[in-house]
Amino acid sequence: MATQWVLLEVFQALNEVPFYHIFLEVGLLMWILWLIFHKSYNPKELEQLTDFEKEKLIEEWTPEPLVGNVAQNHPSLKPRMVSGKAGKFINVDGHYCLNMATHNYLGFVGNKDIEESAIKTLQKYGVGSCGPRGFYGTVDVHLDLEDRLTEFMKMEEAVVYSYGFSTIASAIPAYAKRGDVIFVDENVNFAIQKGLDASRSKIRFFKHNDMVDLERLLMDQAALDKKNPKKAQVTRRFLIVEGIYMNSGNICPLPELVELRKKYRLRIFVDESISFATLGDHGRGVTEYYNIPREEVDMISCSMEWSMATIGGFCVGSSFVVEHQRLSGLGYCFSASLPPLLAAAAITSLDIMEKDPTLFKKLQQQCQLVHKALSTLPLFILQGDPDSPVKHLYLRNPPNCTNHEFNLLSKIADFCIEHGIAVVTAAYLQTEKFTPRNSIRVTVNNMLTGDEINNVAVVLEKASSEVL
Amino acid sequence: MLVGGHGESNPNTTWLQSRGLWISYILGVLTLHLILLSVPILSVPLAWTLTNLIHNACHFVFLHVLKGAPWIPQDQGDCRILTHWEQIDYGQQFTATRKFLTVVPIILFLLTSFYTRYATGHFIVNFVSMVLVVLPKLPQFHRVRLFGINKY
Repeated sequence: MATQWVLLEVFQALNEVPFYHIFLEVGLLMWILWLIFHKSYNPKELEQLTDFEKEKLIEEWTPEPLVGNVAQNHPSLKPRMVSGKAGKFINVDGHYCLNMATHNYLGFVGNKDIEESAIKTLQKYGVGSCGPRGFYGTVDVHLDLEDRLTEFMKMEEAVVYSYGFSTIASAIPAYAKRGDVIFVDENVNFAIQKGLDASRSKIRFFKHNDMVDLERLLMDQAALDKKNPKKAQVTRRFLIVEGIYMNSGNICPLPELVELRKKYRLRIFVDESISFATLGDHGRGVTEYYNIPREEVDMISCSMEWSMATIGGFCVGSSFVVEHQRLSGLGYCFSASLPPLLAAAAITSLDIMEKDPTLFKKLQQQCQLVHKALSTLPLFILQGDPDSPVKHLYLRNPPNCTNHEFNLLSKIADFCIEHGIAVVTAAYLQTEKFTPRNSIRVTVNNMLTGDEINNVAVVLEKASSEVL
Repeated sequence: MLVGGHGESNPNTTWLQSRGLWISYILGVLTLHLILLSVPILSVPLAWTLTNLIHNACHFVFLHVLKGAPWIPQDQGDCRILTHWEQIDYGQQFTATRKFLTVVPIILFLLTSFYTRYATGHFIVNFVSMVLVVLPKLPQFHRVRLFGINKY
């Protein structure tokens, strides 16, 4: 019938096809047969090692001792022992000291209200939240804390992380991917450096707070982009700075950075771990300090472990930007959420900060007083902004060897602790990208009195003249 | 969508290995063909050519033009420069999945040629579409972007 007719016609047509067509079809058929009979590779086989390879790997392996040969006088072998609460005063190795090494800038450690709210939440929810935020780990205090942070910073949305270090270290690789470019200050803290490593992006370091150097790098990039506009279209450019640098105590020149952001179309992330709740009339950080609208900054990340006297961290920004981390911030997705008691403590810290903005003014005055006192020291060079609560003291006449310099500074710190002032040498890992110069890091909190500040300067001067 | 719960940072590498995928694929093509055949104004040769063209267009767009993945892969953008075809089986050549996907357009071309009675017009269109989807599948064209097309 009809189908038969069609088939018949087809076979008739087959008789009339040109020669090249037969040739092509035979060729294609042969190719199919070759593909079918050619050995298939199984991708799963490739992942498994053969017995021979396993033996070889075992043979090649030589175990390393857990602890290598360490010099008897290595500083890690005699750690300092702290007993009791580390508030304004601290007990180090039995010496009762004024704490000039704490990042408790507002004196919230040991605050009765904060402790009480934490205990109340502990009784209600227990210790842990028992899951990541997206997996049964969200408790009402987390949502309250996010709302309160959003309100405090006057931005659109906040996400809370369970650990300060992982906040910026997760936030950076959530946005910056392979093929992107990140411009970053070479003095950034270790958490940012880890975030940069995890991002797999191209990292361009500019000299510490040097806008000329940054603009040079940006112009290089602009020239590259002009040469290859198609590539430029899919390359994101990030700028990452700290509000106050932990490793230098300087404040970032935000107005210039924001200008450059506009000019070169960058996405700017500011790590405000130190500057949050220390700079600005209401403690809103470096944006308030320079009076820059917060929309000019794409994202602000912050650890809650310094001023707020709790644990954890948060990122704030526009919903469009910050929301992305709820599915892409690895520290947010794959880590148990902040214990509710710590979130409650953070809320109470915010309460206190909102109720009493004079805290920040007082801290500013203390920072300036300490700055004035320390800048008179004859054997030290003081680094750090007068308004910054973190200050670094470098030796004015450093020895050639950095180890020797570190030992001298440790001795000075030991002397100070014996005389009732707790200061520390800033500790860095050898693996850091640009290891900063050895220094004594002095921090300021707003509980200090004028006499105590003068005493700090006197003891430091005595220590330096004794040791050097 | 976030992926990674099953141990794959990018499921594009493995989902085509799933059991029953080949039979579903063939049934899918067959369904498309039957739907086209049931349209009254389309003749049999036209229905076959359309089946072939639609199938090859899908291959071309989804396997050889679009890059990256439709979800958020946990690979820091490694797959952002790769087409789906290049991501299959972590780029390993001559795997069963790859062979299947190479053979299907060829068989479809042979069938279409047969049912279009080797008419020259149909032949040219179908042949060009087949070449467009089979050439980029060759191992020699792995991660090659001819004339910089679709490079970034």
